[in-house]
Amino acid sequence: MIKLVDVSKSYTPEVKALDGVNLHIKPGEFVSIVGQSGTGKTTLVKILISEEKADEGKVLVGGWDITDIGQREVPYLRRQIGVIFQDFKLLPKKTLLENIAFALQVCGQTPQKINSIVPHVMKIVGLEDKQHRYPHEVSGGEQQRAAIARALVHRPKILLADEPTGNLDSINACEIIDLLLRINQFGTTVLLVTHNKDIVNRLRRRVITLDSGNIVSDQKHGKYLL
Amino acid sequence: MFLLSSGRIIKFSFQDIFRNIWLSIVTVIILALALFSINMLLVVRVISQASVEAVKDKIDISVFVKADASEEKIINLKKQLENLSGVEKVDYISKAQALEAFRQKYQNDPNIIQALQELGNNPLTPTLIVKPADTSNFDVLINDLNKINDDIIESKDFTDHKLILERINSITNKVSDAGMILSLIFVFISVLVIYNAVRVAIYTHRKEIAIMRLVGASASFIYMPFLLSGLIYALVGVLAIVALFYPFLSLLQPYLEAFFIEYQINIIQYYNSHFLSIFGLQLAGAAMVNIVASYIAVKKYAKV
Repeated sequence: MIKLVDVSKSYTPEVKALDGVNLHIKPGEFVSIVGQSGTGKTTLVKILISEEKADEGKVLVGGWDITDIGQREVPYLRRQIGVIFQDFKLLPKKTLLENIAFALQVCGQTPQKINSIVPHVMKIVGLEDKQHRYPHEVSGGEQQRAAIARALVHRPKILLADEPTGNLDSINACEIIDLLLRINQFGTTVLLVTHNKDIVNRLRRRVITLDSGNIVSDQKHGKYLL
Repeated sequence: MFLLSSGRIIKFSFQDIFRNIWLSIVTVIILALALFSINMLLVVRVISQASVEAVKDKIDISVFVKADASEEKIINLKKQLENLSGVEKVDYISKAQALEAFRQKYQNDPNIIQALQELGNNPLTPTLIVKPADTSNFDVLINDLNKINDDIIESKDFTDHKLILERINSITNKVSDAGMILSLIFVFISVLVIYNAVRVAIYTHRKEIAIMRLVGASASFIYMPFLLSGLIYALVGVLAIVALFYPFLSLLQPYLEAFFIEYQINIIQYYNSHFLSIFGLQLAGAAMVNIVASYIAVKKYAKV
């Protein structure tokens, strides 16, 4: 599903954010990428959604070689990968329903299809009664649920979660992780980038540990090592 | 598909304008103020041109005819002058008409009227007043007039007129050049002000633009609502300036009439007759600046 072959990325000549990373994630896996700040976790996510390009190596997502993807193809890639972030990245002037619908509108879905998919996805994430609220009118946990719903509307094969619990309290964080596990049960490959030790240890799924841009550990039922 | 996308782009554009209503109002106000300053400059140019034309309209050449010249000879001379290429028209002021005009002019000066009565007869000579067709070709006209050798002409020395005309033409050209430079400076400042206002408006949307890219919005879907908003701002700005400027012109018009008492200067009529070219050009200019500014600003934030 995701394959990285000798991928390197530098922002400055002295410091390598990723240094010859080799990685293979199979369809349906739930993988946690852990590591301290500045170890290259977010760079990895940025490369997978083509926000950044690798300096060296090869990147394949769903069999698609995105190493030298063109600017015009980027929107199509992003419609196939669901992404959620620590800061939710919701459009502040749109309601939760509009935020979720927007992801479908931009790729030309018909209103009929949008009207059937969006309420269904909002029900899955438990926001069916808050459809017409603006992001600032709901809690952080609910904003993250809306972001997950937005990521799910395209029925993506991969869901990238970059520190999704970073801005949440422990109860909301657990709820979000439970939601990601349910999504994974439906067959979606989930890549969770985090440095939350408790969450990683509770999951007991595959854990990849990054340090200074290198993979230092890859455990099938791992724990947070650092 | 195209209709669906276009409809959504229009919807998002209007949604964005109304949900950021204060930002939209401020952008339109800045746009309208910039256009107001351009229109003010246009009014100043129209008035200055009208002033110059009024002065030029005053310029004519008087050919004084001998007092004892027969009416037939004077009419012949008049025809001869009218046939000159640089002449717009020739007015004949007879001795009687000249006397009447003199009396009218000095009716409140008893000394002059008394002196005229003591003379007993009409001392004034008939005059042919030559109105030049084009004051910039005054040299040619004076040469042509000097070539006419009719013995009924009392006086035909036009040197003073030439000097005055040269000065007027020089002033006119300088006013025109200064007006043009001032106009260009004003337009340049207005363009910068509008450009900056649009860029600030889009700067506040930078996060939204990045999010649009992240959820897979195509370039056209990101750009078009902003470009359309720019077009709407330009349209509303020009409509606002039309609504504001006409009452302003109505206030100005009586003062212009009072100042140019002998000349018909109607600034409202000027705006009415040039409505499409004045406001059409302003709409096209404002729309172009808005669209270019929007495009550059969105491009900067859509690189994610």
